[in-house]
Order: sequence, then structure tokens, then C-alpha cells
Amino acid sequence: MPQYALVIDLNTCVGCHACATNCKEWNTQASFGPLSDFEPYGRSPEGVWYNRIMSYEVGDFPDTQVFHLPKSCLHCQDAPCVPVCPTGASYKREQDGIVLVNYDDCIGCKLCSWSCPYGCREFDEADKVMKKCTLCIDRIYDESLPPEHRKPACVLTCPAKARFFGDIEDPNSEAYRMIKERNGFVLFPDMGTNPANHYLPRTETKVHVDEHLLEAENPLFLEVVRRHYKGG
Amino acid sequence: MHPPLSLIWFFLTAGTSIELFTLTYLAELLSLFGFDTSLPRNMVLFSVVFSLILVGLGAVGASFHLGHKMRAWNAIKRFHTSWLSREAVFSGAYGFTLFLYGISYYFGFNAFFVHLLGIFTFILGWLSAFSTAMIYASNRFVLEWNTSLTVIYYLNMYLMLGSSAFLATTYHYKPELVKPFLLLTLFFVLLGLAFRIAFNIRQFFLKRPTLNEALNLPHNRPIKVLDTGTTTNNYCTEEFYYAKGREMLNFVIPIFYVITFFVPIFLLSYSLIKGSTSYSFYALTYASLVIGSALERWSFFVEGNHVQNLFYGLYPKEGYTLRKGYMEKKKTKISI
Repeated sequence: MPQYALVIDLNTCVGCHACATNCKEWNTQASFGPLSDFEPYGRSPEGVWYNRIMSYEVGDFPDTQVFHLPKSCLHCQDAPCVPVCPTGASYKREQDGIVLVNYDDCIGCKLCSWSCPYGCREFDEADKVMKKCTLCIDRIYDESLPPEHRKPACVLTCPAKARFFGDIEDPNSEAYRMIKERNGFVLFPDMGTNPANHYLPRTETKVHVDEHLLEAENPLFLEVVRRHYKGG
Repeated sequence: MHPPLSLIWFFLTAGTSIELFTLTYLAELLSLFGFDTSLPRNMVLFSVVFSLILVGLGAVGASFHLGHKMRAWNAIKRFHTSWLSREAVFSGAYGFTLFLYGISYYFGFNAFFVHLLGIFTFILGWLSAFSTAMIYASNRFVLEWNTSLTVIYYLNMYLMLGSSAFLATTYHYKPELVKPFLLLTLFFVLLGLAFRIAFNIRQFFLKRPTLNEALNLPHNRPIKVLDTGTTTNNYCTEEFYYAKGREMLNFVIPIFYVITFFVPIFLLSYSLIKGSTSYSFYALTYASLVIGSALERWSFFVEGNHVQNLFYGLYPKEGYTLRKGYMEKKKTKISI
């Protein structure tokens, strides 16, 4: 069964929030909008966002690393938010595995958000329904768009090219290859939700050169110098 | 978790309604087996009407929790998977059969038919209570609630409310039945106290997940939240973390223990030992239980910590113990 999902490279994500703002911009005006805002220019602006970026610091000072975690609905393959919905408004599509909310059926009981361990559903106080990432379903199937634009807004806008979109069950897709080749991982694996969205782990950028390679009589010496000290 | 007042209201009204009817009908049923528990007609009618009004008020109050009240009927659609859907179906069916029971009792229909309706109402009431409790107990992302204790305790709280209301009603209509039901109410309150203490103690021994587990990082990496992507609160930080409530919790817990358990235990024990029965005693017991239960439910919500709070650095760390073998299980490799 196909399972569309996002694959996010934590190695290249710079935490610029472009994905979140473009998501908000697209989805507030498209089929699933608006994403209501309250006091947008006041002291405590609040509003509905499908995508939020968290920043974390790992390690002890001074050996610390910061990474940014864009978090939107993970379109879990065993989505716990779906069975708890009393009306069936929350559902998972069989054809692509995307979890959606039917706003016409949603009664706004908030139980689905209680059943999401990732906090990826947000209640819209203006529309009184639960809202969440749709993987820009109104873009990815829109045949009036050029094929290269049939992707979620967050993927198209990412300036660092840290976001990938595709069918994670299809071995020919870029998303599938990314996960396999680069050890893609999921959030909260112990929760039994089997999230579809994957993250590519952050790696430390260190160059290790063995001492013996740097000896002049080593036939590889010049090659090592050329590669690692190029322009230095 | 943010305590929704509408759900606390539903707890108080539905709890009193279901268990007041349960005990009323139980007394009626026992009289069929030769026990001297048959109740005056007026008392049965009063209990049924009062229960009906309460469950109606509860349903109206609970609808304020919904974003779209007029679509509430849709909640019956997912009976096979959702406890909330089951609660809606059973509560509605309970109210309907209770109404039919009242009508058939008032007009003196065939006794078999009246009892059949009574048994149906009794079962549906309990199923409704069980389903409501399961909404909380089945949520595996709020570890404080995710236990069978939540269900047993919830049902017992209903019994505490219902039995104390029944006691006050019995005193008014059939005082000779007061003593056995006085004992029963005292038993439920003592049991409730034991369950609540167990519920609180359990929280200290919960194996809580950590931010490392949430982010799928090795346990030995120190990690802290730098930024949560928003300068103010959002739905997640308000719905799943009630900051004001957390501050008040240490103050509210002792108060609800006193009002929900100790005051009723004192009043009931005094009445039992001194043998002095007074309507005001029982009315005060019920009032104390209602106010205390409201505070207890408020605390129940505030005590609940949703695991999504981990991402915001708002999840408690107490009670955490390192899980052995976690690292070996991990598939993720952090390559250097």
C-alpha cells in the first residue's frame, strides 16, 4: 500500500522556518484553509500552524550541537488519532496513506489531539474543528500544476533542500532511498504509531586522516593532500 | 491536561443520575426476591425524574465541550472503534430507556415489562459510565490515566455520588432503609479514598518517557529544548499543559481529599455510631461529595501529563528509571 510521507534531513535543516511560513501561507488560502490567527499583531499572537520547528541542543558545553526539528503530522501508519474519532471525520486514505480530517463531520471534541503523542493536531477556535497537515493533498494531485510542483508547499520552499516527499513504500522513490541509505529514523518509536514521516540523522562533520597516510613515502600521500588540503 | 469544565459537569450529573437510578432499581429488584426493600412509589418516581433531569443537563453541559454542538449526533458513527462514540450511544440509550421506565412505572404497566426496562436502563447506565471511564483509561499517551485503576476509581466515584444522593432520598421517603445504605455509602467512600491514594502513589512509580526517546536519540546524550518555534502559547501548550493549574495543584489536592473523602466519612461515621439520622447530614454528605468530586476531577485532568509535552520541555522527569536494553533495540545509527 502506498504511503506518502516527508523525509527531513536534520543535517541540512537550518531552522529558518521557511517551511512553516510557506505551509501557513499556502494552507490558509487553499482548500483546507483558513488557518485562523488571533491577535496576530498583539502581545500574544496565536494561531493554527500545521508545521512547527523546534530547536534542541545536544551535548554538554562546550561540546554541543544544535539541531532543528520541523514537526508536522507524521501520517502514522497505525494512526492512533483515527480510531478514537467518534464521527469518522478523522480518517486515513487507503490510496496514499495520508491522514485527513473531514471538517464537515468533525464535531470538535479534541479527542484525536489527545490521542496524538506528537502534538501535531491543532484546534481552530474560529472554525471549531481540528486541523492538521494534509501533505498539501490539494497540490500533489493538482494536474493543472507542472509535475515538478506537485509537492507539498514546505518541500518546494525549503532553501536548504532538507525536505523530501514521496512514497516511502516504493523502492524507486527518492524518499524510500533516502531512508534506506541514510538510516532514516522516526520520532517516538516506542509509541507503536509507526510514523510515516522520517528524519535523516544529524552527523558530525569531521575528517579523520590516519597518521601513516600522511607520510611522504606513502603512494597515497599526494592524493590525501590533494583531497583534504585542497586550496589550503 | 487542561480541565474542561463541561466534562466535570457531565461527571457530576451523569454520575449521580446513573447510580441513583442503579440503587433505586436495585432496591426494587431485591424486593422481588423477598427482601424488604421495595420503595414508595413517590420515591421511585422522584428518583427517575431527578435522574432524567440530571442526565439531560449533563448531556447539554457536555455539548459545550464540542466545537459543533449541532453535529453531536454524528458521534454515534464510530461505535466499533471509539469509546467516545460508545459513550454517546449508551448515554443516549440510557436516557431514553430511563424515560420509558418512568412512563411504564407511572402508568403501572405489566410488572415484567417494567422490570425489563429497568434492567435495560441499569445495564445501559453502567455501560455508559464504563465507556466514559475508558475514554481516559485507554489514552496511552497520558500515563497517569492509562490504567485499569482509572476505570474502577471512576465507577466508584459514580457510586459515591449516587449512593449519597440515594441516602438523602431514602431518608425522606423510607427512613427504615437508611442504615444498610448508610453502610454502603460509607463503604464506597472508603473504597474511593483507597483508590485515590493508589492513583496518586502510582504516579511516583511511572516509567516516564524522556525527550531522548521522543527524538529517538541515545539515552546518554544530554539534551535541552532551546526553542519551540513560537514566542507565545499555542494549542498544544494550552490544551496539554495547564500552567496555572500546575501551580494550584498542591493546594487543591489536599482540599479535595478533605471535602470528597474526610468530610463525608466523618458525617457518615458519626451518623452510624451515634445512630442519629438527620436529613441535613445526608444532604451535606451529598453536597460535600459533589463539590469535592468537582475538585477531584479538576485535579485528575491537571495531574495528567501528555507525552507531547516532551517536545516542549514541559514533561515531568520524576519517577524515570533507565530502561535496560534500550540502546540495543535502537535501529538508528548515529554515524561519525
